[in-house]
This record gives sequence, C-alpha cells and structure tokens, in this order.
Amino acid sequence: MAKIRDMIPAFELLQPTTIEAAIDLLDEHRSGAWVLAGGLDSFDWFKDRIKRPSAVIDLGGIPELTGIRDAEGGLEIGAMTTLTSIVRHPRIRSEYSIVADAAEHVATPQIRNQGTMGGNLAQDTRCWYYRSGWPCYRAGGNTCYASAPQAMNREHCIMGRSRCVAVNPSDTAPALIAVDAKMIVENTSGPKVYDAEDFFIGPSIDITRMTVMKPRDLLTRVHIPAAWANAEFYYEKVRDRGSWDFQLVSIAAAFRMSGGTIEEARIAVNGVAPYPVRLDAVERLVAGTSGDEATANRAGDLAIAGARALRHNDYKIPMMRNLVRRAVGSVA
Amino acid sequence: MAEKLIGADIAPPDLHAKITGRAKFAEDFRAPGMVFAKLLLSPMPHARVRSMDTSRALAMPGVIGILTADDVPAREGPREACLTNEPKYEGEPVLAVAAVDEETAAAAIEEIEIDFEPLPFVVDPLESLRPSGPNAYTEGNQFSGEDGWSQLKWTAADFALIDAGRMPNPTAPIEWTKGDPEAAFAESSLVLEEVIVHQSLTHHPMEPRSNMAYWENGRLFAFVSTQSTQQTKFALAGALDMDPEDITLVAEFCGGGFGSKISGSTVMQIPALFSRKIGRPVMLRITRYEENYVGRARPGFQSWLKMGFLPNGKCNAIDLILVEDGGPYGSGDNGTAGMTADLTYTPRNMRFRAASMYTNTPPKAAQRGPGGAQIIAMMEPILDKAARELGMDRLEIRRINAPGPDVTFGPRDTTLTSVHAREALDQGAQMFDWAGKQALSGQRNGSKVTGLGIGLSPYTAGSRGRDGLMLIRPDGRLYVHQGIGNLGTHSIADTARPAAELLGLDWDDVTIVWGDSSKGMPRSTVQAGSQTTHAHTRANHAAGMDALRKVRQIAAATLGGAASAYSVDGGRVRGPGGSMTFAQVAQRAIAMGGEYDGHVLPEDIHAQTVPAAQMLAGQGLMGVARDNYGGEGSIYSWVAGFAMIELDHDTGVVDIKEFVGVTDCGTVLHPRSLGAQVLGGCIQGIGMAMTQRWVFDPQWGVPFANRLYTARPPGFLDIPLNARWGAVGIADPTSPVGAKGIGEPPVGAGAAALACAVADAMGGVCLCRTPLTPDIILAELEGRVAAHGRLDQHVG
Amino acid sequence: MGQEETVGVSEHSFTRRTFIKGVIATGATTSSAGYLFRGSSLLGAATYQTATERLITLTVNGQARRVDVLPHETLAMTLRYKLGLTGTKLGCDRAECGACTVLIDGVNQYGCSMLTHQVRGRSVTTIEGLENPDTGELSVVQKAVMEEGGFQCAFCAPGFIMSMEALIAENPNPTREEAAHALSGNLCRCADYHKILNCAMRAAELARAV
Repeated sequence: MAKIRDMIPAFELLQPTTIEAAIDLLDEHRSGAWVLAGGLDSFDWFKDRIKRPSAVIDLGGIPELTGIRDAEGGLEIGAMTTLTSIVRHPRIRSEYSIVADAAEHVATPQIRNQGTMGGNLAQDTRCWYYRSGWPCYRAGGNTCYASAPQAMNREHCIMGRSRCVAVNPSDTAPALIAVDAKMIVENTSGPKVYDAEDFFIGPSIDITRMTVMKPRDLLTRVHIPAAWANAEFYYEKVRDRGSWDFQLVSIAAAFRMSGGTIEEARIAVNGVAPYPVRLDAVERLVAGTSGDEATANRAGDLAIAGARALRHNDYKIPMMRNLVRRAVGSVA
Repeated sequence: MAEKLIGADIAPPDLHAKITGRAKFAEDFRAPGMVFAKLLLSPMPHARVRSMDTSRALAMPGVIGILTADDVPAREGPREACLTNEPKYEGEPVLAVAAVDEETAAAAIEEIEIDFEPLPFVVDPLESLRPSGPNAYTEGNQFSGEDGWSQLKWTAADFALIDAGRMPNPTAPIEWTKGDPEAAFAESSLVLEEVIVHQSLTHHPMEPRSNMAYWENGRLFAFVSTQSTQQTKFALAGALDMDPEDITLVAEFCGGGFGSKISGSTVMQIPALFSRKIGRPVMLRITRYEENYVGRARPGFQSWLKMGFLPNGKCNAIDLILVEDGGPYGSGDNGTAGMTADLTYTPRNMRFRAASMYTNTPPKAAQRGPGGAQIIAMMEPILDKAARELGMDRLEIRRINAPGPDVTFGPRDTTLTSVHAREALDQGAQMFDWAGKQALSGQRNGSKVTGLGIGLSPYTAGSRGRDGLMLIRPDGRLYVHQGIGNLGTHSIADTARPAAELLGLDWDDVTIVWGDSSKGMPRSTVQAGSQTTHAHTRANHAAGMDALRKVRQIAAATLGGAASAYSVDGGRVRGPGGSMTFAQVAQRAIAMGGEYDGHVLPEDIHAQTVPAAQMLAGQGLMGVARDNYGGEGSIYSWVAGFAMIELDHDTGVVDIKEFVGVTDCGTVLHPRSLGAQVLGGCIQGIGMAMTQRWVFDPQWGVPFANRLYTARPPGFLDIPLNARWGAVGIADPTSPVGAKGIGEPPVGAGAAALACAVADAMGGVCLCRTPLTPDIILAELEGRVAAHGRLDQHVG
Repeated sequence: MGQEETVGVSEHSFTRRTFIKGVIATGATTSSAGYLFRGSSLLGAATYQTATERLITLTVNGQARRVDVLPHETLAMTLRYKLGLTGTKLGCDRAECGACTVLIDGVNQYGCSMLTHQVRGRSVTTIEGLENPDTGELSVVQKAVMEEGGFQCAFCAPGFIMSMEALIAENPNPTREEAAHALSGNLCRCADYHKILNCAMRAAELARAV
C-alpha cells in the first residue's frame, strides 16, 4: 500500500455537550475513539494518515470543560480552556505567573487562541521518526530508530530513556509540576486525581503513552493549589526559533522564600526525558540556602548526574545544568 | 509638470488585490469539470519500480485516471522528468492519480501496490568522492554531455588529509588558476587554512508550486506559479515539445520563488499532461510536505580554504576547494562561489577547484544569491580571523580588500560596469556607528556577550538586450506590457517607470499589463540573477523612447513643425503647431499604421516578441524596441550588512539587537520596495546562517526537516525589529536609468554579518559551519566534543 | 446557529446523554463549487463508517451560507473550495505559517487546523469580509497596508492582515515588540517583516484616530 499524506481520512464526528456524554462516548468507542481538544496535535496525526480513529469526540461544545474558577483557595482550569485565556487570566498572572509564562511560550498566538490546557498536557511527542509513521517501539514496533548510531537525535532525551528516547514537548507541563498542580482524570468509574508529576509517564511504564490516560479516560480539569501562590518563579524555554518552536530544554521553578532563604523549592525540566522531570534532589539541595552561586553550581551539577547523551544531543547536558543554575541563582 | 516617478514611493497597482483576497494565485483558479491529482512519492532515496498494480485504485468510484512515467517525456542522463520509475530522492513523484476530489485521489494512491527495488544511495556529497563510496546513480557520479557517465573518486591520500582535518590536493572537474598562488602564499605574512561547511536548505516559498491546466481545441491553458511569466511559457513548451504559441500561460501572482520557480516548476508539466490524457482540467495542489521534496533547495558546500594576507591586511592569495551538493539533477553554484571569492577579496592569485556531486536528496536550484551567499557566509568570518591576527579593524580589512572600478576577476578577467562597495561599507559603518560600537565587542553582561559583525556581499544585478513593448491606446493611457513575473519584487510596476517618465505621464495614467501570455508579452529575462530591474528599466526605456519618437512625429505630422520641437507632459504633446492629447495621438497612430501602430516592427526585436506585438498591432501607438544601449562589463550590486548580537553563553542562544544593511545598486527606483528587498534578503540570510536547517538520516537517506516547524525559517521573533537600511544611490553609468538589481546580494550580507557577530561574541572563534544553532554554539562554548564531524553535511 | 439541532438519542447506550447530531445531507446542497470532497461519500465503505454528511449554515463575513460539510473537513477547505473564498491561503495546512488565518468570533485562528463543524454558530471573518460590503471601503488595517506599500509576494498577506485586525482590536496602542509578538504566528518568506510591522503600527494609529 503506497503512502500519501495531507488528506484527513474520514471519521465520525461526535460533539457531546456534557462531560458525562463525552465519557460515555469514549467508553463506547474505546480504542477507536480520539479525543479532539484544540486539535493542533490531532490534525497532524490525521493529515499524516497515521492515526485513523473511527470516531472523533470533539470536546469544544462542553461548557463545563472551559473556564478558570476559584477552587479551594487555588484555581481550577478546565481542560478546554485556551492557552490565551490562561495567559490573560488576572489571578494566574498575579499569583501563578509561571503558568501564564509557560502558556505564553507555546507556539504562536493563533495556536494559543485554539490550543487548550488539556491538549498541551496530553500532546504526543515530536520525535520525527515516530511522527513520520516509522514502526518504532512507541508505535508498536520493535526498534527505536532515533537511538541508532547514525540517527539524527539532537532533540531527543538525555535521561529517562527506556527503549524510547523521545521527549515530552509540553511547555506548560513543567510549570504545573512546579506549582504542585493536580490533574483530574475521569472515566465511567468516576474521577481520579493525579499529581502533575505522576500524570506524565515514561516508556518504562507504558511506551505507547505520554500520560497516565488510557483510551477511556478524559482529562477534565487541572487544579492549582493555594500552596504555591505568589512564590518566586523562574521559567525559561530554550528553543532554536523564537517563533513556533518546541523546547530544546525548558525549566520551571518555584521557590517559597523566607527572608533571603529558600524554604522550599519545586524544579521541573522538560525536553530532557520522555516526561517532564522533577528534580527532587536539587529541590532538597537548595532548601535552606540563599540560592547563592556555589549552591546554584552544585544544583546544576546535581541535576545532570546520570545524564547520558545520544550522538547529537550532548549539548543538552550543559544546557540543562546552566538552566538549573540560572533558576536557582535567580532568587539570590 | 508630470510627477517624478523614479525614486518615489508608489505602491504597486496590484496591492489592492493582494490585500482584499482578490489576487488569484495558481491554486485559486477553477475550471468547469476540474478534477484533482495527487502524487505518489518515492518512499526511498533511490529505487527502481519493479512492478506496480493500479487496478484496485483505478476501479474505485470517482477515480478518473492515472499518469505514470510512461506517459510523460523521458529524460536521459541526470535530467529531471516530472514522473519517474527510478526515483532518485525520497519524495520524488512516481505517478499521479486524478479523481473527482482529493480525498478519493488520496485513497486511490493508498490502494496502489508498488514494488520498489532499493538501490544504493548517497546523501553526503563527500561520501561519493571516497574511494569506495556510493554513487547517486547506478551509472556513476559524474556526467558530461560528450562523454556520458563516469566515476570521480578522490584518492586514499586525499582522504587521509581530509580525515586529519587538512586540505587535500585532489583532482577536480572544475579548476582554474590565476596568478601564482603558491608563490603568493610564500610571500604572505599570514596564511589561514580552514575547513568550512555550508548547509543545503530548502527554499520554502510561502506558496507551494500548485498549478492547474486544461486543454481546449488543442490549446493548453496553464495556471502556474512562476517567477518569470513569458519565459515560463517557452520552458513549458520545451518540456512538452509543443509550439509555444499554442499555450496560454496565466501567472498573475507568484507567492515567492527565491530561485526555485525561475521558469515555473517541473511539476507544472503534470496537470498539463494529465489533462490532455483524461480530457478534464486537472488541479495539482502541492502540499507543504510535498514542497519540501519537489520544491528546490540551495546546495551546500564542504570546503577547504587557504587564504594568504600581506601585513597590511590585503589578501594576496586564495586556494579554494568546494564540494557541492548537486542533488539528483546537478547544480552549479560553485562557479559563482569562486567568482565571488575572487571579486570580494581581490587576491590576484587564486586557485579554484570544485566538484559538484550528485546526491539522492531533493533537487537543487538557485536560491537567492546562489553560490555567492554561501561563499560570503563562509569566508567573511575568515577575513575577521585575519583581521584579529593582524591586529586590524574588521571594517578596514574589508575596505582594503574590496574591489575598485578597475577590478578584474574570475578565470576570464571579468570587469564591472560600476562598483561602490567601499561607499556601501562606509555608509553602513556610519549608520551603524561601527567605530563607536567597538567598545561593546566582547562586552559581557551576565551570561550574555555582545558581538559585532560585518558582511560584504556582491552579486550579479543585470543583463542587456531585452525587449520593451507598450501601447498608448485611444483612451490616452499608457499600457506597459510586462513579460516578467510578479513574484513580489514590485518590478512589474517599477521597471515601467522610466517609460512613463519619458512620456511625461502621471503614474495614474499608466496601466501595467502582466500575468497572462494571451495579453501580449515581449521577450523578457527570466527573473533570476537579479537581472530584472536593470534589464527591464533599460528595455522599457528603449520602448519608451520609441513611443516618444512616434508621439512627436505624429504631432509634427498632424500639427506641423519639426518633431524635435515637440515635448510631452501630462498626457499631451505640445509644440510649434499646438498640442494634442495622447488619446488623439493614439487614434492618429492607428490611422497612420505602419510602425506607428505596430504593423511594422523593428527588425532587431526578438522573435518571441514578434507574435505579441503583432497581436497588439492596430490598437494604439506602439512603443517597441530592443535594449541596444550596450555597455561593457558585468553588472553587480553590493550589500554591506552590520549586525550586533548578544550571545547567551549559558544556552547558545543568539539575540540580534541591531542590524543595518546598505546597498550599492545604482539609482534607487522605489525606495520603500528597495528597503524591503535589502532587509528581507538580509533576514533570509540570517535564517540561512542561524535558524534554518536541512537534516538527513544517513542510514535511511531521508530528510526530517520537512515541515516548516522543523525547517525553521525565521519568524517575527527571530529578527531585529529596528533594522535600518540605506543606499549609496550612485547611478550605474552604462544604463540610461542607472538602476541595478538587488534581490541576491543581501542574503550573503545578512548571513555573514550574523556569522561574524557570533564569532565575535565567542572571542573570535569561528565555528566555520552553518547553521549556527544553540546546540553547536553551546558545545563549543562548553568545550564539549562536537556532535558532528568537521565536514558532516545535512546534520542541521 | 446553523441547521443542526440538539437532540436526545435513545438508541443503544446513548439514552442518558445529549450530543449534537447534524441533519443528514440529502444532496440538496447549494455548493456547486464543492470539488474537493464531492465524491467522498463513495469512500465510506472503504475506510470506516463515516459520520453523517451535513448540510449546515455557516456565518461567514456576516452572511449565512448553506454548505455541505463533511465531518473531517477543515474550515480552510470549506472556504476555499466550497464557498469560493480563495483569499484564505494554504501555505502549509499544518498551523505553521499563518496564511490561512481567519477570525472566529473576532479571534485569529488557523483556518487549516479546525473542522468546519467546530465553527457552526460562530462568526467567521475572512480577508474578503473586511471591506465595507456596500461602499468597498477598506478596513483601517487594509488602508494602513495601502499607505505603507506593504508586502512583497503577499501570499502571506491575507493571514497577516487578519492577525493585524485581531491585534488592534485587542491592543489598539501596541509597541513594536507587542505588535511583533502578536504577529509571530504568521510567516513571511520574503521576510518583509520590517514593512509589515510598519503596517501594523500604522493600522493601530489609524484605528485610534477613528
């Protein structure tokens, strides 16, 4: 069968108007179903004719999935809330600016106007072997093309590999880990709450998925607790191109300060592993310090302990170290 | 008094259509009964079709037909056919299916069973030169018209040097020497030897090369995307082996080409042939993914450079070896690269060797400043290195080496009509405040280090001997018929200005006729090599002079007195016998006939102009003439680019803080449009040096930077927002208008200024490769082992 | 809203839920220019059970347009190949270049990367909808572009202009940096960014003067 791209194969379009209806549709169609949020990742797969769901469930008509609400002193962001709404939300901007900052680094204005919180978190990896439809481990095959000796893998991972060496592409993921967000996932059995860092999974857990979500699951909302409101934040995304690009390495850090001392820290890095990496050891290291230069240097070195480069991505090791240094040093 | 047109900011007449959605690009045309074609692309870099079964596809409801390589003109040797049974790069079109809609056509493609026999391939040109390296063709890796195929391999001794990072001493198909380079190197006080890699990169014009065609009564109507309308009609006729006068070619707008659509495209043959076969209009919508393949790419170079300098900074010798990525169908950028090196650094002693190697990568073509842009981006940082070694100012070393008016360069001692490179450097240095900014060079602010860079870049900018064709119709308006294409440079309008000025007309009284060969087009240049402005201001000047002569003669014949005593202004001709309107003159011309209304044509106009002029004869006063102004020497324009950047030593990220581009391109026709060309070209160059890339998996021979987000052309957040431009503005003395072209030279200037500024921000370390992405910059700054070999090509 | 209706469906396990079900198109389409997807119903059996074809009403440039739209059809395709609105360009069809930018309820989005069925009941504005339909008067953005002599090849122009419309509606007094940021979802391969930015700044100026 010859290959062709750039035409979306036919599917049944289902447009539920309630969460309950959406979950029922997912349950009914199981592996044949595809959840359409903003669609920017989905349409790529469809146009490449690699993913061919029989039923596409468009969440755009479900009002309860959209919007940002005050909840338990913190905030609750509906999964279908656009990234632009997050960027512009007054409380996010003032109290959780790292989330707005991260959302603003996503792609382009048009994509932020359409792309959603849920879509940005649940999007698939951009490994170009996988996205080209090659039969790799992640696609159900039995090899990883990106880690072959001659492979082109400058954008792939330096840690967390397990057969697959792809990275998580989400800009908002590390920011949400840094504020201890919770992801609420629902299916016909009811809702389940995941810590942000546990929401993302690596290939050692399931090589075909980027998150805990299985075919019947629906991410409905993200809860940001009050705990990290108004902390000291640091966000940085290093990319090749200022316009429309995924991260090479990105970092999100939150520091709760007491006087000049870091009381508690949350630091997450993306673009270095198949999932956003929370740097627990670094967080412990910097707690109780002022984020001084010596601490920052030690933090950077600790962050990359165990990092291992592929042929073309050794640069990510110093890049990650330098970003961790900068993030820690930002509070000094 | 009529307005002064040359040098004025006048928006082109098609702008309203462009900004209201009315402008029709090729994919915007429709025809009754139109069907859609989809392409089956080769899944392998080199393969042969052993067998195919299309029966299931053809049996599908809605499928109209199939076009295979057997239906299209075959091409011998390394020449490109529009469909092939031996694809030579991944993505090469093998066949096309037409159906009532694209979705059916796509589904039909998936029903086709093709058995491809994989063949050996090569994606890295240098690999094909290795003693036992692969060839892109089963027949060899070199081709000549006389001798056919052969195999060029360098020796093990050459590769021992190459692999040791040294300059080899190979045989090369292209070689020339002038002066005595070896003796000159011996006299040099500084000799630099460098290994430099310049990447290949896809053109990616905004408009993919979609096109549509149908036949009516043996006549082909082709709606194509092309840079050069009139010449494309002939190119298409040649490809289809048919009479050009049986083609109506419509190309009203072209959404960018940059050299990739000079005479249209190879795929424009497909709808033409397909619609003839199935008797239905055929639309071939080329997607961005397909454009990555069937669009063109700039050839990259792997090179060794030896450059000698005298104590005062004068370059006295160059030894340059280039290996060019020729793609499957060849490329000759190396020739201009060698010429450009000799012109820009005037060494007087130079040896040039080059080999263009076929590779199984998408086809190569001229890309804005072909050869020149690459070599300037490669060599300017080396000039900086020399300046540092010699303790010289980097502006000064460029001034010392830049050519003067008496320059001769290249293997045939080419001369120039005019050159004001030093003036461009000086004006740019003043605008940029080069002297004042020296203190900022290398200054550190946290992790960010400031770097300054200059790029001086020449390119060809004109040609002679084209035709102009225009009518003053009985409505009193001037209709300038333009065979050049409408690719966004505004030259369809701007090159008509000299004629309007000669005839004393306001711009509002001028209509530009373009974009449709049935409207009558004179012999024109292909829009390449920045010829258009120079060539067609001259041609339209000549035709304008012809019209003016006829206006005066008609006035004198009608009103009395000597023709020379009549003058024109505001749509009237006045003289001793009174005055007439141009409307009256046009009517008189028709009445008088003969040469006045185009029934008798000048003998020296091109044969291609004759049918167009004959078609328009009798409709008004015709101005028609060949550009016989002559002139000695090549026509070159220059751009001097100045960049200030900040390089973040923690991340390798470059932030461009300031940019100035100053051009020597003769008389300024249209300042605002010129500024757009200068800065736009410089930004393309910045993209070429910094953000864009071309990546191949060497094991599988397939490209991965095949989307815009992976190919990464620069966007709004990658460029300086306060860039400024200037023009020296000295007329070229060999043209009656004085204007030279400008499209090409800014690319090298932008790329080189950026590359030099990056090296400056790294304390003078030249990475000697493009693209300068954060990964390779950071690896160098951090002292890590580079991820790629010095000469690796296509690693992005 | 268009012709679609919200109905409860009482078959299989659908009893408890609501979802939007379109009216099945019966061939009574007004879309004579619908080349692109015309034969696609023929393919249903070959791939999957397709969703129902739908005859819907779209609000485009202030007009209600009846059109037959397949479930998997993108807005850019509907505009270009069914409604004759070819001003919306396809430069990449992958949400990467911005040539297809349209306004959905005043917000700039990529027309290539949304399903037409997702914009039922919403207001779609394309480049063709910016002029005053009665007088032909250009929008302030278009006027600004005319004044500044904007764009080279202009394949990107319709998309840029739609983004400029969104920009000045949102931020009538932008800095150059803010304007560049707002336009960063549109590519210009001629790289005429300098002049495009001048157009945007001039458009904001004209808008403030209105």
